Amino acid sequence: MNKIESPAESRKMLDKIMTDLTRSITKKDELTRFWFFILIMFIIVGVWGWIIQIKTGLGVTGMRDYVSWGMYIANFVFFVAVSLIGFLISSALALLKISWAKPISRVAEQVAIAAVALAGIIIVMDMGRPDRFLNVFLHGRFASPIIWDVTVVTTYLTISVLLFYLPLIPDLALMRDHMADKLPKWKIKLYTILALGWKGNPEQYKIIYHSMRILMLLIIPVGLSIHTVTSWLFASTLRSGWDTTILGPYFVAGAFVAGTAAVIIVMFVYRVRYRLKDYFEDLHFDYMGKLLVFVCLVYLYFNINEYLVPGYKMKLGEGIHLRELFVGNYSVMFWFVQLTGLVLPIVLLLFRYFRKPFPIMVISFVVLVASWLKRYIIVIPTLEHPFLPVQNVPDHFKHYSPTSTEIMITIFSFVSAMLIITILAKLFPVITMWEYAEEKGIDKKYFSEKP
Amino acid sequence: MKLKSLKITAIMIFLSLAVSAQDWIVPDDQKNVANPLPYNLENVKKGKELFLKNCKSCHGDPGKNNVLPLVPPPVDITSEKMQKNTEGEIFYKITHGRGAMPQFGATISDDDRWRIVNYIQNFNPARQPMLVNAPATKAKLLASVNEQEKKVEIFAEYLAADGYIKLPNAEITISAKKNFGNIEIGKVRTGENGRAIFTIPETLIGDEEGYVNIVVALDETFIADVVTLDKAKVGQLKQVQKLIRPGVLWSTNENIQIWLLISYICVTGAAWLTIGYVAFQLFRIKKSSKTESSNIS
Ligand code: HEC
Repeated sequence: MNKIESPAESRKMLDKIMTDLTRSITKKDELTRFWFFILIMFIIVGVWGWIIQIKTGLGVTGMRDYVSWGMYIANFVFFVAVSLIGFLISSALALLKISWAKPISRVAEQVAIAAVALAGIIIVMDMGRPDRFLNVFLHGRFASPIIWDVTVVTTYLTISVLLFYLPLIPDLALMRDHMADKLPKWKIKLYTILALGWKGNPEQYKIIYHSMRILMLLIIPVGLSIHTVTSWLFASTLRSGWDTTILGPYFVAGAFVAGTAAVIIVMFVYRVRYRLKDYFEDLHFDYMGKLLVFVCLVYLYFNINEYLVPGYKMKLGEGIHLRELFVGNYSVMFWFVQLTGLVLPIVLLLFRYFRKPFPIMVISFVVLVASWLKRYIIVIPTLEHPFLPVQNVPDHFKHYSPTSTEIMITIFSFVSAMLIITILAKLFPVITMWEYAEEKGIDKKYFSEKP
Repeated sequence: MKLKSLKITAIMIFLSLAVSAQDWIVPDDQKNVANPLPYNLENVKKGKELFLKNCKSCHGDPGKNNVLPLVPPPVDITSEKMQKNTEGEIFYKITHGRGAMPQFGATISDDDRWRIVNYIQNFNPARQPMLVNAPATKAKLLASVNEQEKKVEIFAEYLAADGYIKLPNAEITISAKKNFGNIEIGKVRTGENGRAIFTIPETLIGDEEGYVNIVVALDETFIADVVTLDKAKVGQLKQVQKLIRPGVLWSTNENIQIWLLISYICVTGAAWLTIGYVAFQLFRIKKSSKTESSNIS
């Protein structure tokens, strides 16, 4: 990094960085209001759907005796998957000292927090008696992967919030000191409280670096566990399609695909909406594109293992399941997912052109949709083929299809995740300002100057 | 499979229509067979029990005409249609059945079928009814269990004109309370002093520790509360088969693998201790900004 010597230049530069990076907070226009309006409308509709579901019971969903895990659980797995990106970018890449990933880490944390929070909410929404939620803790069995999952999801959420908060503290102090005239009082008050009276002395920086490092190390096992344990919810059963030893790494790899795509989309939106071309540069999209190709390749490799090996043997139950995926009822969805969610990004993103911001955003969107469908394919077809014969039941017990209430509630979860991300972006800078400024060669002493 | 069941239903409907068109003719030699069992209270009572068990589901309660809607319909046993049968005819019909009316020849013994006939005769206008619906008397039961001797001691009283007095010669049913209702374990009659002692059979099975709730009740000719006694150790130990083999990972909290529990606690504890440590660092930041006023070093 090249040091900027002159104080005047430093101050000017810092000022520009702050103006740019707080644009998301200061910007107030019709579009913002409209966006909030849309989100809140959908959330109200979703909550209404949930109230119906609580009143009438889970009978309003398409879930019946055989398919007792439907869209909600598929959606849960999807959100857990997306949340894993926080661990990949803000910890794994940071520990490897990959510097281009630094400005992206807060976006990754935003996505992680929103996703893992929603994962928790979805589980409650999947419960027929959410008022008995606490029984999970009161009467949980320690030998049950469900308890492990609840434990690890809460732990991951806590660590993600801390990882988001710690590097934010100096930023909060910057805004507290420099933006009192530009922002409403309550925001400044919030920043003052959250900044913990930050002075910017070396000891405080040392504490931040130290704590960050610990969290980054801690989140590696926790991050790996969160999705591995989620996969065990399936893999610890004997059901065809789930009963495989590869499911843990398979889920983790798939999670990176979904998460990378989600982060690229959010980055693109910030870049356009808050005019952050100089911060989320073409270079970042280029690298993220390469990262996406890499994780897709890993996932492809696991997919080949996951389908080719049982497909070679075609054991009775497994064979029924696989035939259903390859050529049966789910074949259209299955091949769509495999092609657009894996093969297509790998092929396209090898070309430099497709790693430009707009094309890669479009590709990421398709990948994200495919990732969601992939979770659907992991959860539902297996349940439709139990080992014991399905007899003497109404036809709608045999095949699952989500009802409108279920779809409403699922849309609610997407919209809520977007709302959480929006609120975080409206309250806090989307890139760590002080880290960025330091990277650009501005000395720390200018941060704590009062204007 | 569906087609087959359709066919069967079609045939059944056809058959039942065909038979309903004609009366149920009983061969002459069968018609006039005499009932070998005497028409007395004991036989009628036994017949009633058998009727409740085997026939009520279709024929309903006597006199209430709440029969099952079948084609042709079963008849209420008090009805004229039923009562114009001779005893031999009724016996024959129970034995052989027709259409939806099952044949009981193989499942209920000859004597018991005659007892049912006796019970049906109870509603025959030409007969003196054995079971009369006298208004129920109010009664009270006191009971206790003697754990050592495995006996239930009972005392019964009924409401006479001048208060409660001892109830002699009343039948008392003793049952054991189970998860899905009571199971009868025997009957006793009260003596002249209104008391009865019931010896609990050796074979009675209690819970895992041998405890049983004994239930004592009078028959329906009395209005009396059913007495459910406190748990007493009078049964054999219930052998509970351990369904989960030791050594499996998925298990209840009682027999969880100890290493699994320790791992869970250690891993979770370590993670949260670390989180706690980081949270503590936040306090250090706060403290450091208070103590030091320096701007920059
Ligand atoms: C599954 C239902 C069912 C059960 C159980 C049943 N019945 Fe019937 N019963 C019928 C039907 C239906 C008819 C009419 C048959 C007909 O007319 O073809 C009938 C007819 C009769 C008749 C002939 C009545 C007449 O019209 O002459 C007698 C007697 C009779 N049942 C006695 C009994 C007795 C006694 C039992 C118990 C041991 C019994 N049933 C159990 C269904 C049942």
